[in-house]
Amino acid sequence: MFRNNYDNDSVTFSPQGRIFQVEYALEAIKQGSAAVGLVSNTHAVLIALKRNAEELGSYQKKIIGIDTHLGVALAGLAPDARVLSNFMRQQSMSSRFLYNRPVPVARVVNAIADKAQVNTQHYGRRPYGVGLLVAGVDETGPHLWEFQPSGMVLEYRGAAIGARSQSAKTYLERNYESFGDATREELVLHGLTALRDTLAQDKELTTANVSLAIVGKDEKFKLYDGDEVAEWLEKLGNTQSSRGSRGAAAAPPAPEAAAPAGDSMDVDA
Amino acid sequence: MTSIGTGYDLSNSVFSPDGRNFQVEYATKAVENGGTAIGLRCKDGVVLAVEKLIQSKLLVPGSNKRIATVDRHVGIACAGLIPDARHFVSRARNEASSWRKGYYGPIPISSLADRMGQYAQTYTLFSSVRPFGVTSIIGGLDEEGGPSLWMVEPSGVTWGYFGAATGRGRQAAKAELEKLDLPNITVEEGVKHAARIILIAHGDNSGKDKDYELEMTWVRMPPNGEAEIAADGTVRGYGRHEEVPKDIVEQAEKDAKKAVEGDDDDEKMAES
Repeated sequence: MFRNNYDNDSVTFSPQGRIFQVEYALEAIKQGSAAVGLVSNTHAVLIALKRNAEELGSYQKKIIGIDTHLGVALAGLAPDARVLSNFMRQQSMSSRFLYNRPVPVARVVNAIADKAQVNTQHYGRRPYGVGLLVAGVDETGPHLWEFQPSGMVLEYRGAAIGARSQSAKTYLERNYESFGDATREELVLHGLTALRDTLAQDKELTTANVSLAIVGKDEKFKLYDGDEVAEWLEKLGNTQSSRGSRGAAAAPPAPEAAAPAGDSMDVDA
Repeated sequence: MTSIGTGYDLSNSVFSPDGRNFQVEYATKAVENGGTAIGLRCKDGVVLAVEKLIQSKLLVPGSNKRIATVDRHVGIACAGLIPDARHFVSRARNEASSWRKGYYGPIPISSLADRMGQYAQTYTLFSSVRPFGVTSIIGGLDEEGGPSLWMVEPSGVTWGYFGAATGRGRQAAKAELEKLDLPNITVEEGVKHAARIILIAHGDNSGKDKDYELEMTWVRMPPNGEAEIAADGTVRGYGRHEEVPKDIVEQAEKDAKKAVEGDDDDEKMAES
Protein backbone atom coordinates (compact mmCIF):
# COMPACT_ATOMS: atom_id res chain seq x y z
CA MET A 1 0.00 0.00 0.00
CA PHE A 2 1.33 3.38 -0.95
CA ARG A 3 -0.96 5.28 1.35
CA ASN A 4 0.09 8.71 2.46
CA ASN A 5 0.13 8.63 6.26
CA TYR A 6 0.84 12.29 6.63
CA ASP A 7 -2.31 13.74 5.14
CA ASN A 8 -4.96 12.99 7.74
CA ASP A 9 -4.89 16.27 9.62
CA SER A 10 -3.35 19.70 9.54
CA VAL A 11 -1.15 19.12 12.60
CA THR A 12 1.14 16.57 10.96
CA PHE A 13 4.21 17.52 8.98
CA SER A 14 5.40 15.15 6.28
CA PRO A 15 9.09 14.19 6.41
CA GLN A 16 9.63 16.88 3.74
CA GLY A 17 8.06 19.50 5.96
CA ARG A 18 4.81 19.73 4.03
CA ILE A 19 1.31 19.90 5.49
CA PHE A 20 -0.87 17.94 3.10
CA GLN A 21 -4.22 18.94 4.55
CA VAL A 22 -3.38 22.54 3.80
CA GLU A 23 -2.24 21.66 0.30
CA TYR A 24 -5.50 19.78 -0.27
CA ALA A 25 -7.43 22.85 0.88
CA LEU A 26 -5.61 24.82 -1.82
CA GLU A 27 -6.96 22.25 -4.30
CA ALA A 28 -10.52 23.08 -3.21
CA ILE A 29 -10.06 26.53 -4.73
CA LYS A 30 -9.54 24.95 -8.14
CA GLN A 31 -12.94 23.24 -7.85
CA GLY A 32 -14.59 26.63 -7.99
CA SER A 33 -15.08 28.67 -11.13
CA ALA A 34 -12.56 31.37 -11.91
CA ALA A 35 -12.28 34.87 -10.50
CA VAL A 36 -9.96 37.58 -11.80
CA GLY A 37 -8.78 40.78 -10.16
CA LEU A 38 -6.76 43.72 -11.45
CA VAL A 39 -5.57 47.11 -10.20
CA SER A 40 -4.65 50.31 -11.94
CA ASN A 41 -3.40 53.50 -10.33
CA THR A 42 -6.99 54.58 -9.78
CA HIS A 43 -9.21 51.50 -9.73
CA ALA A 44 -9.46 47.92 -8.56
CA VAL A 45 -11.68 45.47 -10.41
CA LEU A 46 -13.02 42.02 -9.63
CA ILE A 47 -14.57 39.81 -12.31
CA ALA A 48 -15.87 36.32 -11.77
CA LEU A 49 -17.48 33.50 -13.68
CA LYS A 50 -20.66 32.23 -12.04
CA ARG A 51 -21.91 28.66 -12.29
CA ASN A 52 -25.38 27.23 -11.92
CA ALA A 53 -25.81 23.68 -10.67
CA GLU A 54 -28.77 23.03 -12.93
CA GLU A 55 -30.57 24.71 -15.74
CA LEU A 56 -33.43 25.91 -13.55
CA GLY A 57 -31.24 26.87 -10.62
CA SER A 58 -29.82 30.24 -9.84
CA TYR A 59 -26.16 31.15 -10.27
CA GLN A 60 -23.79 30.95 -7.32
CA LYS A 61 -22.78 34.28 -5.87
CA LYS A 62 -19.12 35.00 -6.57
CA ILE A 63 -18.53 38.56 -5.42
CA ILE A 64 -19.38 39.87 -1.96
CA GLY A 65 -19.31 43.52 -0.97
CA ILE A 66 -17.69 44.18 2.41
CA ASP A 67 -17.85 47.94 2.71
CA THR A 68 -18.10 50.95 0.41
CA HIS A 69 -14.37 50.74 -0.30
CA LEU A 70 -13.89 47.00 -0.26
CA GLY A 71 -15.11 43.68 -1.65
CA VAL A 72 -14.08 40.08 -2.31
CA ALA A 73 -14.37 37.54 -5.10
CA LEU A 74 -14.26 33.88 -4.15
CA ALA A 75 -13.39 30.50 -5.56
CA GLY A 76 -13.98 27.31 -3.60
CA LEU A 77 -16.32 26.62 -0.72
CA ALA A 78 -18.86 29.44 -0.69
CA PRO A 79 -19.96 28.87 2.94
CA ASP A 80 -16.38 29.37 4.10
CA ALA A 81 -16.27 32.59 2.14
CA ARG A 82 -19.40 33.74 3.93
CA VAL A 83 -17.75 33.16 7.31
CA LEU A 84 -14.69 35.13 6.22
CA SER A 85 -16.64 37.93 4.58
CA ASN A 86 -18.87 38.31 7.65
CA PHE A 87 -15.74 38.58 9.74
CA MET A 88 -14.34 41.19 7.37
CA ARG A 89 -17.58 43.17 7.60
CA GLN A 90 -17.29 43.14 11.38
CA GLN A 91 -13.69 44.33 11.19
CA SER A 92 -14.66 47.01 8.76
CA MET A 93 -17.54 48.20 10.90
CA SER A 94 -15.53 48.26 14.12
CA SER A 95 -12.90 50.34 12.34
CA ARG A 96 -15.57 52.86 11.45
CA PHE A 97 -16.94 52.95 15.00
CA LEU A 98 -13.57 52.98 16.78
CA TYR A 99 -11.42 55.08 14.50
CA ASN A 100 -14.07 56.77 12.37
CA ARG A 101 -12.38 55.66 9.20
CA PRO A 102 -12.66 52.89 6.65
CA VAL A 103 -10.42 49.93 7.46
CA PRO A 104 -7.15 49.77 5.48
CA VAL A 105 -7.24 46.89 3.00
CA ALA A 106 -4.01 45.34 4.27
CA ARG A 107 -5.35 45.36 7.84
CA VAL A 108 -8.50 43.41 7.09
CA VAL A 109 -6.66 41.02 4.80
CA ASN A 110 -4.09 40.27 7.48
CA ALA A 111 -6.90 39.72 9.96
CA ILE A 112 -8.40 36.88 7.90
CA ALA A 113 -4.92 35.53 7.22
CA ASP A 114 -4.24 35.20 10.94
CA LYS A 115 -7.65 33.60 11.40
CA ALA A 116 -6.89 31.05 8.69
CA GLN A 117 -3.42 30.26 10.03
CA VAL A 118 -4.84 29.04 13.35
CA ASN A 119 -6.89 26.45 11.49
CA THR A 120 -3.71 24.95 10.08
CA GLN A 121 -1.99 24.46 13.44
CA HIS A 122 -4.65 22.98 15.71
CA TYR A 123 -6.11 19.48 15.71
CA GLY A 124 -9.82 19.13 15.11
CA ARG A 125 -10.01 22.09 12.79
CA ARG A 126 -9.82 22.18 9.06
CA PRO A 127 -8.32 24.88 6.89
CA TYR A 128 -10.76 27.09 5.02
CA GLY A 129 -11.54 25.67 1.59
CA VAL A 130 -11.78 28.94 -0.22
CA GLY A 131 -9.52 31.39 -1.99
CA LEU A 132 -10.35 35.07 -2.06
CA LEU A 133 -9.37 38.04 -4.14
CA VAL A 134 -9.78 41.16 -2.05
CA ALA A 135 -10.04 44.44 -3.92
CA GLY A 136 -10.28 47.76 -2.17
CA VAL A 137 -9.18 51.34 -1.95
CA ASP A 138 -7.66 53.07 1.07
CA GLU A 139 -5.46 56.09 1.84
CA THR A 140 -2.61 54.48 -0.06
CA GLY A 141 -4.64 53.84 -3.20
CA PRO A 142 -6.26 50.80 -4.81
CA HIS A 143 -5.09 47.34 -3.78
CA LEU A 144 -5.60 43.74 -4.78
CA TRP A 145 -4.79 40.89 -2.41
CA GLU A 146 -5.01 37.15 -2.80
CA PHE A 147 -5.96 35.12 0.26
CA GLN A 148 -5.22 31.40 0.52
CA PRO A 149 -6.45 28.77 3.02
CA SER A 150 -2.87 28.34 4.23
CA GLY A 151 -3.13 31.82 5.72
CA MET A 152 -0.93 33.19 2.99
CA VAL A 153 -1.84 36.63 1.68
CA LEU A 154 -0.01 38.36 -1.15
CA GLU A 155 -0.50 41.69 -2.85
CA TYR A 156 -0.82 41.55 -6.62
CA ARG A 157 -1.14 43.86 -9.61
CA GLY A 158 -3.31 41.24 -11.28
CA ALA A 159 -4.41 37.83 -10.02
CA ALA A 160 -6.64 34.90 -10.92
CA ILE A 161 -7.94 31.98 -8.86
CA GLY A 162 -10.23 29.02 -9.52
CA ALA A 163 -10.70 26.53 -12.34
CA ARG A 164 -8.42 27.06 -15.34
CA SER A 165 -7.15 30.26 -13.74
CA GLN A 166 -3.70 29.53 -15.18
CA SER A 167 -4.96 30.72 -18.58
CA ALA A 168 -6.08 34.01 -17.05
CA LYS A 169 -2.75 34.37 -15.23
CA THR A 170 -0.92 33.88 -18.51
CA TYR A 171 -2.93 36.72 -20.03
CA LEU A 172 -2.32 38.94 -17.00
CA GLU A 173 1.42 38.23 -17.04
CA ARG A 174 1.58 39.28 -20.68
CA ASN A 175 -0.31 42.52 -20.09
CA TYR A 176 0.27 43.67 -16.53
CA GLU A 177 2.67 46.44 -17.49
CA SER A 178 -0.20 48.41 -19.01
CA PHE A 179 -2.51 48.03 -15.98
CA GLY A 180 -1.05 50.91 -14.00
CA ASP A 181 -2.05 53.63 -16.45
CA ALA A 182 -5.14 51.84 -17.74
CA THR A 183 -8.47 53.63 -17.63
CA ARG A 184 -11.40 52.17 -15.74
CA GLU A 185 -12.79 50.78 -18.98
CA GLU A 186 -9.51 49.32 -20.20
CA LEU A 187 -9.01 47.62 -16.86
CA VAL A 188 -12.42 45.94 -16.95
CA LEU A 189 -11.86 44.78 -20.52
CA HIS A 190 -8.47 43.33 -19.59
CA GLY A 191 -10.24 41.49 -16.78
CA LEU A 192 -12.98 40.17 -19.04
CA THR A 193 -10.43 38.99 -21.58
CA ALA A 194 -8.51 37.17 -18.86
CA LEU A 195 -11.73 35.62 -17.57
CA ARG A 196 -12.73 34.57 -21.07
CA ASP A 197 -9.52 32.56 -21.27
CA THR A 198 -10.72 30.42 -18.36
CA LEU A 199 -13.88 29.32 -20.17
CA ALA A 200 -14.34 25.66 -20.93
CA GLN A 201 -14.82 24.48 -24.49
CA ASP A 202 -17.95 25.81 -26.22
CA LYS A 203 -18.76 28.08 -23.30
CA GLU A 204 -19.41 31.78 -23.52
CA LEU A 205 -19.45 34.84 -21.27
CA THR A 206 -23.06 35.93 -20.82
CA THR A 207 -24.95 38.44 -18.73
CA ALA A 208 -26.07 35.50 -16.60
CA ASN A 209 -22.65 34.08 -15.77
CA VAL A 210 -20.48 37.17 -15.39
CA SER A 211 -20.21 39.10 -12.16
CA LEU A 212 -18.23 42.32 -12.09
CA ALA A 213 -17.30 44.76 -9.36
CA ILE A 214 -15.48 48.06 -9.56
CA VAL A 215 -14.05 50.23 -6.83
CA GLY A 216 -12.03 53.39 -7.38
CA LYS A 217 -10.46 56.33 -5.63
CA ASP A 218 -13.61 58.35 -6.27
CA GLU A 219 -15.96 55.47 -6.85
CA LYS A 220 -17.69 53.36 -4.24
CA PHE A 221 -17.51 49.59 -4.47
CA LYS A 222 -20.30 48.46 -6.75
CA LEU A 223 -21.30 45.05 -7.95
CA TYR A 224 -22.65 44.68 -11.48
CA ASP A 225 -24.75 41.62 -12.29
CA GLY A 226 -27.09 40.45 -15.01
CA ASP A 227 -28.13 43.13 -17.50
CA GLU A 228 -25.69 45.58 -15.92
CA VAL A 229 -22.78 43.72 -17.48
CA ALA A 230 -24.34 43.67 -20.95
CA GLU A 231 -22.63 46.89 -22.05
CA TRP A 232 -19.26 45.50 -20.94
CA LEU A 233 -19.76 42.28 -22.87
CA GLU A 234 -20.67 44.35 -25.90
CA LYS A 235 -17.44 46.29 -25.57
CA LEU A 236 -15.52 43.06 -25.24
CA GLY A 237 -16.97 41.83 -28.54
CA ASN A 238 -16.03 38.17 -28.73
CA THR A 239 -17.39 36.34 -25.69
CA GLN A 240 -16.68 32.80 -26.91
CA SER A 241 -14.19 30.42 -25.38
CA SER A 242 -11.01 30.39 -27.42
CA ARG A 243 -10.53 26.70 -26.74
CA GLY A 244 -11.10 24.88 -30.04
CA SER A 245 -14.53 23.32 -30.25
CA ARG A 246 -15.18 20.19 -32.23
CA GLY A 247 -18.47 21.31 -33.73
CA ALA A 248 -17.12 24.60 -35.05
CA ALA A 249 -13.56 23.52 -35.70
CA ALA A 250 -13.49 25.10 -39.13
CA ALA A 251 -15.56 28.12 -38.10
CA PRO A 252 -13.96 31.52 -37.44
CA PRO A 253 -13.58 31.52 -33.63
CA ALA A 254 -10.51 29.32 -33.81
CA PRO A 255 -7.66 30.27 -31.41
CA GLU A 256 -5.82 32.26 -34.10
CA ALA A 257 -8.94 34.22 -34.97
CA ALA A 258 -9.86 34.83 -31.36
CA ALA A 259 -6.53 36.35 -30.40
CA PRO A 260 -6.83 39.60 -32.39
CA ALA A 261 -10.26 40.17 -30.85
CA GLY A 262 -8.53 40.20 -27.48
CA ASP A 263 -5.99 42.72 -28.64
CA SER A 264 -8.51 45.13 -30.08
CA MET A 265 -9.77 46.27 -26.74
CA ASP A 266 -9.32 49.92 -27.23
CA VAL A 267 -11.80 49.70 -30.05
CA ASP A 268 -15.16 50.84 -28.80
CA ALA A 269 -17.41 48.22 -30.27
CA MET B 1 15.26 9.03 8.58
CA THR B 2 15.39 5.27 9.17
CA SER B 3 12.52 5.54 11.61
CA ILE B 4 10.07 6.78 9.00
CA GLY B 5 7.16 4.43 8.75
CA THR B 6 7.61 3.01 12.26
CA GLY B 7 4.73 5.18 13.43
CA TYR B 8 6.69 7.40 15.75
CA ASP B 9 6.70 10.28 13.31
CA LEU B 10 2.95 10.62 12.85
CA SER B 11 2.12 12.67 15.91
CA ASN B 12 3.61 15.63 17.65
CA SER B 13 4.77 15.21 21.26
CA VAL B 14 5.72 11.57 20.75
CA PHE B 15 9.25 10.33 21.33
CA SER B 16 10.75 7.63 19.16
CA PRO B 17 12.59 4.80 21.01
CA ASP B 18 15.89 6.58 20.45
CA GLY B 19 14.57 9.80 21.96
CA ARG B 20 13.76 11.92 18.94
CA ASN B 21 10.71 14.00 18.23
CA PHE B 22 10.18 13.58 14.53
CA GLN B 23 7.44 16.13 14.00
CA VAL B 24 9.77 18.82 15.29
CA GLU B 25 12.47 17.63 12.90
CA TYR B 26 9.99 17.73 10.02
CA ALA B 27 9.01 21.27 10.98
CA THR B 28 12.68 22.18 10.60
CA LYS B 29 12.47 20.73 7.09
CA ALA B 30 9.76 23.28 6.28
CA VAL B 31 12.18 26.01 7.33
CA GLU B 32 14.88 24.63 5.08
CA ASN B 33 12.63 25.12 2.06
CA GLY B 34 12.07 28.80 2.74
CA GLY B 35 14.09 31.79 1.52
CA THR B 36 17.31 32.51 3.39
CA ALA B 37 17.23 34.89 6.36
CA ILE B 38 20.30 36.26 8.12
CA GLY B 39 21.12 38.50 11.04
CA LEU B 40 24.34 40.33 11.84
CA ARG B 41 25.16 41.62 15.29
CA CYS B 42 27.55 44.50 14.66
CA LYS B 43 29.41 46.92 16.93
CA ASP B 44 26.69 49.55 17.03
CA GLY B 45 23.57 47.73 15.96
CA VAL B 46 21.95 44.80 14.21
CA VAL B 47 21.26 44.09 10.54
CA LEU B 48 18.50 41.74 9.38
CA ALA B 49 18.20 40.59 5.77
CA VAL B 50 16.05 38.12 3.86
CA GLU B 51 16.05 36.64 0.41
CA LYS B 52 12.43 37.09 -0.63
CA LEU B 53 11.72 34.66 -3.43
CA ILE B 54 9.41 36.08 -6.07
CA GLN B 55 7.00 33.41 -7.29
CA SER B 56 5.18 35.59 -9.82
CA LYS B 57 5.91 38.80 -11.64
CA LEU B 58 2.34 39.87 -10.98
CA LEU B 59 3.21 40.49 -7.33
CA VAL B 60 3.50 44.13 -6.35
CA PRO B 61 7.25 44.87 -6.11
CA GLY B 62 8.39 45.70 -2.60
CA SER B 63 5.20 44.42 -0.99
CA ASN B 64 4.65 41.33 1.14
CA LYS B 65 7.35 42.08 3.67
CA ARG B 66 9.17 39.28 5.48
CA ILE B 67 10.85 41.28 8.22
CA ALA B 68 8.53 42.64 10.88
CA THR B 69 8.88 45.30 13.52
CA VAL B 70 7.91 43.91 16.92
CA ASP B 71 8.57 46.97 19.01
CA ARG B 72 10.38 50.13 18.05
CA HIS B 73 13.73 48.59 19.07
CA VAL B 74 13.18 45.01 17.85
CA GLY B 75 12.80 43.32 14.48
CA ILE B 76 12.18 39.72 13.45
CA ALA B 77 13.27 38.08 10.21
CA CYS B 78 11.74 34.69 9.47
CA ALA B 79 12.35 31.71 7.23
CA GLY B 80 9.83 28.95 6.64
CA LEU B 81 6.04 28.96 6.52
CA ILE B 82 5.07 32.63 6.17
CA PRO B 83 1.64 32.32 7.82
CA ASP B 84 3.24 30.67 10.84
CA ALA B 85 5.77 33.50 10.92
CA ARG B 86 2.98 36.05 11.02
CA HIS B 87 1.41 34.27 13.98
CA PHE B 88 4.79 34.12 15.72
CA VAL B 89 5.46 37.82 15.14
CA SER B 90 2.01 38.73 16.40
CA ARG B 91 2.77 36.85 19.61
CA ALA B 92 6.10 38.68 19.90
CA ARG B 93 4.29 42.01 19.55
CA ASN B 94 1.94 41.05 22.36
CA GLU B 95 4.91 40.11 24.57
CA ALA B 96 6.63 43.40 23.84
CA SER B 97 3.56 45.51 24.50
CA SER B 98 2.60 43.67 27.67
CA TRP B 99 6.16 44.19 28.90
CA ARG B 100 5.75 47.91 28.33
CA LYS B 101 2.45 47.87 30.21
CA GLY B 102 3.98 46.04 33.16
CA TYR B 103 7.45 47.53 33.42
CA TYR B 104 7.15 50.92 31.69
CA GLY B 105 10.04 50.25 29.38
CA PRO B 106 11.15 48.40 26.28
CA ILE B 107 11.53 44.63 26.56
CA PRO B 108 15.16 43.43 26.64
CA ILE B 109 15.89 41.40 23.51
CA SER B 110 17.11 38.46 25.58
CA SER B 111 13.80 38.35 27.47
CA LEU B 112 11.79 38.55 24.28
CA ALA B 113 13.84 35.80 22.67
CA ASP B 114 13.47 33.68 25.80
CA ARG B 115 9.70 34.10 25.88
CA MET B 116 9.39 33.38 22.18
CA GLY B 117 11.48 30.26 22.69
CA GLN B 118 9.10 29.12 25.40
CA TYR B 119 6.15 29.85 23.14
CA ALA B 120 7.63 27.76 20.33
CA GLN B 121 8.46 25.01 22.79
CA THR B 122 4.87 24.66 23.99
CA TYR B 123 3.90 23.76 20.43
CA THR B 124 6.08 20.65 20.69
CA LEU B 125 4.35 19.36 23.82
CA PHE B 126 0.88 18.47 22.63
CA SER B 127 -0.50 16.18 19.98
CA SER B 128 -3.29 18.69 19.41
CA VAL B 129 -1.00 21.19 17.76
CA ARG B 130 1.94 21.15 15.38
CA PRO B 131 5.27 22.90 15.88
CA PHE B 132 5.93 26.18 14.09
CA GLY B 133 7.37 25.71 10.62
CA VAL B 134 9.47 28.76 11.23
CA THR B 135 12.91 29.73 12.44
CA SER B 136 13.08 33.37 13.42
CA ILE B 137 15.97 35.70 13.91
CA ILE B 138 15.25 38.30 16.57
CA GLY B 139 17.47 41.36 16.58
CA GLY B 140 17.46 44.57 18.52
CA LEU B 141 19.20 47.10 20.69
CA ASP B 142 18.81 47.05 24.46
CA GLU B 143 18.72 50.13 26.63
CA GLU B 144 21.73 48.72 28.37
CA GLY B 145 24.03 46.17 26.82
CA GLY B 146 23.70 47.27 23.21
CA PRO B 147 23.04 45.07 20.19
CA SER B 148 21.56 41.64 20.65
CA LEU B 149 20.77 38.86 18.17
CA TRP B 150 18.91 35.62 18.77
CA MET B 151 17.55 32.74 16.78
CA VAL B 152 14.47 30.71 17.81
CA GLU B 153 14.00 27.32 16.17
CA PRO B 154 10.81 25.22 15.86
CA SER B 155 11.96 23.09 18.81
CA GLY B 156 12.07 26.16 21.02
CA VAL B 157 15.86 26.18 21.05
CA THR B 158 17.00 29.79 21.50
CA TRP B 159 20.60 30.82 21.11
CA GLY B 160 22.37 34.14 20.93
CA TYR B 161 24.53 34.86 17.90
CA PHE B 162 26.96 37.29 16.35
CA GLY B 163 25.88 36.07 12.95
CA ALA B 164 22.78 33.93 12.39
CA ALA B 165 21.50 32.27 9.22
CA THR B 166 18.49 30.10 8.43
CA GLY B 167 16.48 29.00 5.42
CA ARG B 168 17.71 27.04 2.46
CA GLY B 169 20.89 29.01 1.78
CA ARG B 170 22.01 28.91 5.42
CA GLN B 171 25.11 26.76 4.84
CA ALA B 172 26.64 29.17 2.35
CA ALA B 173 25.53 32.13 4.46
CA LYS B 174 27.09 30.69 7.63
CA ALA B 175 30.36 30.11 5.83
CA GLU B 176 30.42 33.78 4.80
CA LEU B 177 29.34 35.06 8.22
CA GLU B 178 32.19 33.18 9.87
CA LYS B 179 34.69 35.13 7.78
CA LEU B 180 33.53 38.44 9.22
CA ASP B 181 34.84 40.19 12.31
CA LEU B 182 31.27 40.91 13.41
CA PRO B 183 31.86 42.42 16.87
CA ASN B 184 34.02 45.12 15.31
CA ILE B 185 32.21 46.20 12.17
CA THR B 186 29.64 48.96 11.94
CA VAL B 187 26.04 48.59 10.86
CA GLU B 188 26.86 50.41 7.62
CA GLU B 189 29.50 47.81 6.82
CA GLY B 190 27.16 45.07 7.99
CA VAL B 191 24.56 46.13 5.42
CA LYS B 192 27.08 45.68 2.61
CA HIS B 193 28.08 42.24 3.86
CA ALA B 194 24.44 41.21 4.33
CA ALA B 195 23.61 42.10 0.71
CA ARG B 196 26.58 40.08 -0.49
CA ILE B 197 25.82 37.09 1.74
CA ILE B 198 22.19 36.93 0.59
CA LEU B 199 23.40 37.06 -3.00
CA ILE B 200 25.83 34.22 -2.39
CA ALA B 201 23.27 32.18 -0.46
CA HIS B 202 20.82 32.62 -3.31
CA GLY B 203 23.41 31.69 -5.92
CA ASP B 204 23.85 28.25 -4.41
CA ASN B 205 20.12 27.66 -4.85
CA SER B 206 19.38 29.10 -8.24
CA GLY B 207 16.83 26.65 -9.52
CA LYS B 208 13.39 27.57 -10.72
CA ASP B 209 13.09 30.34 -8.12
CA LYS B 210 15.69 32.55 -9.67
CA ASP B 211 14.03 35.88 -8.89
CA TYR B 212 14.38 37.37 -5.46
CA GLU B 213 14.07 40.69 -3.71
CA LEU B 214 16.53 41.73 -1.04
CA GLU B 215 14.79 42.99 2.06
CA MET B 216 16.94 44.61 4.73
CA THR B 217 16.35 46.34 8.04
CA TRP B 218 18.59 47.57 10.80
CA VAL B 219 18.36 48.43 14.47
CA ARG B 220 20.75 51.13 15.56
CA MET B 221 21.20 54.23 17.63
CA PRO B 222 19.58 57.33 16.21
CA PRO B 223 22.39 59.38 14.63
CA ASN B 224 22.50 61.93 17.46
CA GLY B 225 22.86 59.13 19.99
CA GLU B 226 20.48 60.65 22.45
CA ALA B 227 17.81 58.80 24.28
CA GLU B 228 14.25 59.68 23.45
CA ILE B 229 12.31 60.86 26.41
CA ALA B 230 8.55 60.77 26.22
CA ALA B 231 6.25 63.45 27.57
CA ASP B 232 5.63 61.42 30.73
CA GLY B 233 9.35 61.19 31.43
CA THR B 234 9.84 57.53 30.46
CA VAL B 235 12.97 56.79 28.50
CA ARG B 236 12.01 55.14 25.25
CA GLY B 237 15.25 53.30 24.67
CA TYR B 238 17.91 53.96 22.11
CA GLY B 239 17.34 51.45 19.37
CA ARG B 240 15.23 51.97 16.31
CA HIS B 241 14.23 49.14 14.01
CA GLU B 242 13.62 50.44 10.51
CA GLU B 243 14.04 49.60 6.86
CA VAL B 244 17.45 50.32 5.45
CA PRO B 245 16.97 53.31 3.12
CA LYS B 246 16.35 52.31 -0.49
CA ASP B 247 19.44 54.02 -1.93
CA ILE B 248 21.73 52.27 0.55
CA VAL B 249 20.19 48.88 -0.24
CA GLU B 250 20.54 49.47 -3.97
CA GLN B 251 24.16 50.52 -3.59
CA ALA B 252 24.90 47.50 -1.38
CA GLU B 253 23.28 45.19 -3.94
CA LYS B 254 25.29 46.72 -6.75
CA ASP B 255 28.54 46.38 -4.80
CA ALA B 256 27.63 42.82 -3.85
CA LYS B 257 27.09 41.83 -7.46
CA LYS B 258 30.40 43.36 -8.39
CA ALA B 259 32.21 41.63 -5.54
CA VAL B 260 30.69 38.22 -6.28
CA GLU B 261 31.25 38.48 -10.03
CA GLY B 262 34.78 39.66 -9.35
CA ASP B 263 35.40 36.51 -7.33
CA ASP B 264 34.14 34.40 -10.20
CA ASP B 265 36.51 36.13 -12.59
CA ASP B 266 39.41 35.49 -10.24
CA GLU B 267 38.52 31.82 -10.10
CA LYS B 268 38.33 31.64 -13.87
CA MET B 269 41.70 33.29 -14.09
CA ALA B 270 43.10 30.76 -11.66
CA GLU B 271 41.64 27.88 -13.61
CA SER B 272 43.07 28.98 -16.95
